[in-house]
Amino acid sequence: MTKTLKINKSTEQGVLEFLKFLLESDKVNGVFILKKINGDEAVAYSLVANPEDLKDAVPFYPLMPVNAGKLLSRFTLKGSTKKPVVAVVKPCELRGFVELIKREQGNLENLFIISSTCGGVYPTKMSVDRTIEKNLSKYWDAVKRGESPSDLRDACRACEEFIPYMADITVDLIGKSDIDKQCTMFLNTKRGEELAKDMKGEFSEKELDRKKLDEICERRGVEKKKLFDEIDAKMKGMEGLINIFGRCIGCHGCMRVCPICYCKLCEFESPNSEYAPSDYESELGKRGAIRVPPGTIYYQLGRMTHIGISCVACGSCDDVCPVDIPISIIFKRVGESVQKLFKYVPGKDVEEKIPLITFEKEEFTEVEE
Amino acid sequence: MSELKGAVVSARSGTKETIIELLEKAMDKGIFDGVIVPMKVPAGDSFAYVFVKDRSLLKESFPLPPVMFVQGAKAVSSVTRLGEGNMKIAVIMRPCEVRATIELAKLNQTNIENMTLISIDCPGVLPTSDFLSNPEKSMKQFDEAVKKLDDKIMRPVCQICDKSSMIAGDLHIGTLGAKKDTFFIISNSQKGNNVVEKLGIKLKDNLDNWHNKVKGISEEKHKKRKKAHKDLKSEVGGIDNLVETFSHCINCHNCMKACPICFCRLCYFDSDKVKHPSEDYLERAESKGSIRFLPDTTLFQMGRMMHMSHSCVSCGACEDACPMSIPVAQIFSMIADETQGLFDYISGRSLDEPVPLTVYEEEELHEVEDAND
Amino acid sequence: MERKIGVYICECGPNISEKVDIDKVIDAISSIEDISVVEKYKLLCSADGKKFLEEQIKKQGLTHLVVAACSPKEHEKTFMEVCENADINPYLLQLANIREQCAWITEDKDEATKKAIRMIRAAIGRVRYHSPLDKKEIESNPDVLVIGGGIAGIEASLQLANTDRKVYLIEKTSSLGGLVTNFEKNFLGMKPISDTIDKKIQDVKNNKNIKIFTDAEVEEVIGFFGNFEIKLKNSDEEGDPIGFNVGAIVLATGLTLFDPKNSLKYGYGEIDNIITSLEFEKMNKTGKISLKNGKPPRSVAIIHCVGRDEKGYCSEICCMYSLKFARYLKDKIPQVKVSNFYSDLCIPGKTHQKFYEQTKEKNVDLIRFTDVGITKNKDQLNINYKDENGNKKSLLVDMAILSSAVEPATDASKVAEIVGISQDEKSFFAEAHEKINPVSTSTEGIYIVGGAQGPKDISSTLIQSEAAAGKILSSLVPGRKIEPEVKVSHISESFCIGCKTCISVCSYGAITFDEAKKVSVVNEVICRGCGNCVAACPSGAASIKHFKFNQIYQELKEAVK
Repeated sequence: MTKTLKINKSTEQGVLEFLKFLLESDKVNGVFILKKINGDEAVAYSLVANPEDLKDAVPFYPLMPVNAGKLLSRFTLKGSTKKPVVAVVKPCELRGFVELIKREQGNLENLFIISSTCGGVYPTKMSVDRTIEKNLSKYWDAVKRGESPSDLRDACRACEEFIPYMADITVDLIGKSDIDKQCTMFLNTKRGEELAKDMKGEFSEKELDRKKLDEICERRGVEKKKLFDEIDAKMKGMEGLINIFGRCIGCHGCMRVCPICYCKLCEFESPNSEYAPSDYESELGKRGAIRVPPGTIYYQLGRMTHIGISCVACGSCDDVCPVDIPISIIFKRVGESVQKLFKYVPGKDVEEKIPLITFEKEEFTEVEE
Repeated sequence: MSELKGAVVSARSGTKETIIELLEKAMDKGIFDGVIVPMKVPAGDSFAYVFVKDRSLLKESFPLPPVMFVQGAKAVSSVTRLGEGNMKIAVIMRPCEVRATIELAKLNQTNIENMTLISIDCPGVLPTSDFLSNPEKSMKQFDEAVKKLDDKIMRPVCQICDKSSMIAGDLHIGTLGAKKDTFFIISNSQKGNNVVEKLGIKLKDNLDNWHNKVKGISEEKHKKRKKAHKDLKSEVGGIDNLVETFSHCINCHNCMKACPICFCRLCYFDSDKVKHPSEDYLERAESKGSIRFLPDTTLFQMGRMMHMSHSCVSCGACEDACPMSIPVAQIFSMIADETQGLFDYISGRSLDEPVPLTVYEEEELHEVEDAND
Repeated sequence: MERKIGVYICECGPNISEKVDIDKVIDAISSIEDISVVEKYKLLCSADGKKFLEEQIKKQGLTHLVVAACSPKEHEKTFMEVCENADINPYLLQLANIREQCAWITEDKDEATKKAIRMIRAAIGRVRYHSPLDKKEIESNPDVLVIGGGIAGIEASLQLANTDRKVYLIEKTSSLGGLVTNFEKNFLGMKPISDTIDKKIQDVKNNKNIKIFTDAEVEEVIGFFGNFEIKLKNSDEEGDPIGFNVGAIVLATGLTLFDPKNSLKYGYGEIDNIITSLEFEKMNKTGKISLKNGKPPRSVAIIHCVGRDEKGYCSEICCMYSLKFARYLKDKIPQVKVSNFYSDLCIPGKTHQKFYEQTKEKNVDLIRFTDVGITKNKDQLNINYKDENGNKKSLLVDMAILSSAVEPATDASKVAEIVGISQDEKSFFAEAHEKINPVSTSTEGIYIVGGAQGPKDISSTLIQSEAAAGKILSSLVPGRKIEPEVKVSHISESFCIGCKTCISVCSYGAITFDEAKKVSVVNEVICRGCGNCVAACPSGAASIKHFKFNQIYQELKEAVK
């Protein structure tokens, strides 16, 4: 049983009122939340200090312009925040942040997290022509039923990790028919309880509706299998890799928007990935011709090796790819298979070390001689 | 620009095919040891530059593909950034790619000593996303458009490009103004002259037809360009309009990566200089009520513009790479015309023309000095 | 490391205390987080004040120091010394100028106090990000390079060449001596010049400390005072380029004559028997003065001020040597009729007047003109002139000597560029200050002497050469160390992409290119920390120590909050 706070407003309104309360009572100095900006032109994450400015906030808007985990990492990169701040983020964004914290790229001290069970987001392209606005009511209808509209990100339709792990407060959102009337928040941690103290609302103890969430998970699992089978067929062997990554232009956008990719200077943009004419000349002697710039698949496989273990399958990479390569599903496919080997769920527990830096004496004996 | 010399070449088997034949002949005669030329990728849904040494593979070449996946200057730079190498290489690209290559050579990012840069009259290039929606259909549409000299389906910056036949390299394939089943080979340098001579072609034909056709197209495009820029300026001019224009920008920096001129190892806007402690962000939020996070999107755009405007070749690679459909190329190209105009500089025009940033003139830009001086 | 910042506010007598409410400032600053102590003091730059600061630093265990007082130009060094004495790095200090930039510019005490608080906050914001920097000391090179082997260069070389220093004397032509070797006598004394110059040339050749390079030119100069690296265009016997290091450079590149061909009214080069002053000196030295036909002239006109209008200055020496020419003529051709045509007469100095009068006594006509020109008149010349009253007159003569203006040597511009100094608007090397510093240039360690600096006679040249030598001898002392600039540029090897833009904009030649790593590298000894490279580098790979982005950003942030 977990302590809960119920506010008799719509879920979104309830959360906004709660955030207003937190700012006004000085429990936090800043709120990190999705907001409509520039006169409604776009939706972007914002750091709000003045409770008045919460009026344009849209906490559960089905859009992820940037993975918030990356943003929280930037916020706390130079040290934990000295003044308390609360962030409203999606489960995969939180998991991304946790994976970064494990790598010294962020800090949860004084940073409180509100997340929700997640219905998924639309590709960012759809925000440009305002198609999301048109689809909003359809979206929420689907969310209430625990279903995913077909034009959501592939990664979202296939996502089984839609229940946040390390949130201080979880907002009960998907599969609930009454989100227009009720706002129920699960206070998972002591920090969460402290925040909620003195807020106007009903306090009690509840559990998330596991049965409903399991059903949703199963449906997502079916979608995932479909997408995985599709990609497996396309990705077979070197030929498959060449086919699927053939149109990659090396823009590295996937790397830049990925919450896990945090290197100051990516290996694949460093002098280590530059070749001298003599290198070309000797390769040409062996192969007769080389695609230039070289290293297209090397980059993709390299990045996969570096971050696959922590891939949270948020799908930001898909959105940013200018040549429509289904990166998120490829990385999810490979990432999950690696994570399974170590029984590792990225972002589940900030105390759980990354497999790469843990040594087990007895491990992978099956690949030994 | 040197005195152009030309020759009419018979192209009965087709322009593409004849170009390939000439490249094969050049390799056979040892004029080139290798060629960098576009080819279709195995999956058939895109094109990539390939550095070819094995002459038998040249038949796969696809000069003047309908899309520009990677800006040619980037492809060239990846080969000779660290030195000129021992191979004599021919490169065949669009004029803006040749120009970008020359700009990069000035900035020490590529070495063109052993390269013969060949350009070709450019009809424009399809936006990548349009091409990807139906590659086969797009190829047919592109060929049609080229025949009819119609650029409506090309990149927006291509539609107002007045330098689509600008010769900055050594050789140029002039298809405009040529009689049926022929094209012009035009030489712009001694290197070019030598190559053509060794191929057994005499550069003694009259180029008036090409010049006139090019002049006509360029003047028309120039008028279109001026009007388009005027309209665009009023749309995006001023800080409020700018912020709104870039409000969808997610700072993915694809534009920067696609741009041939953005060559910094670590972009200023990815460096530690823009990574501030949390107190700074909170203070900003407190003073304004709320700030977008991460802030300074417009600063990145304007900063990048300031850093590369003098060398921008208006290729449009940035706009194609933008996942949020922001008209970056149109905006950057418009400003580039003005910044380069200030110094009577045209990017990529000549290897001997240093980049304005590195040139000191005692008498310069008086119009921006203090009136009371 | 825990920061302990101490802020000390100087009352500066009444200067600051009367204009700024210091107690209010102390209140405002005390509340800032990592400030250990905020105190005021009567006069921090006094002996007591410095002692107070030193004790405070030690007592409070301060790690950083902010002093709110006068301009850094006045006392930054003072307080840096205090830091050193108190064992904290002198660069962990920041001054807030609340005197010149605050107390002294307003009568409004309220405004001044507000601004003072803002300035101190800005200084605190900056000092938080200061890094300790180490001073460097390098040996200064006491040797000297003298460019130009004429009388100016020779004199400077002789004065400088003493036991502990070497002089490298570079001469473009194959022999030493310069212009004066063409003259028979000097004006005033009318003594043979060879007496002076020949001895000096011999002394130079005999002096073991002077290394002479004739037919030589300088190709490259990089470095700074105490540490110049010189490369000559010439190669040695093995074909290697000649290079050496010196601590100072003397430019003695001398003069050349204005070419009268540039002024058509004189008919020079068109009409026979019109020669320049230098051509006349050379002719006179042979012992025989004659016309083109070999006969001695019966009448000679000496035209002063040739090229004066075009050059826009008086060349100082021509009137005197034109009078000397009159003497030459009268000595060699007693019956010759000599007429000196002048527009103004320049005869300064204590003995010049006497020389002039004595010359006049030799039956030399001195004719004043407002305008003059020469035309051909069969075998002779018509000197056509307007007299003082504007009347047109004419004089028939056999020969005309044009006393041309002097200008800097033809390749003075090239030398200026190589050495890195500026030229004035008349193309002479620019002195640091016309009146009070006429031998130095704006570049420390580079001196200009003789005609290269401006028209002058032999005695003034000798004075100037000795002056330059004096300056060098006293400032460039063997064994005395030089402290090169600490706040220099640094280029990150990881982030430099090798575009060489920084190298194009560096005025000091302080950046070289490592071909193997393909990155730019700063020579920290030569770098002057001007910041051009930092501004030009697009990726921010270049940065200046003590002027890092964050330091400036934080200071600015506090200043504008």
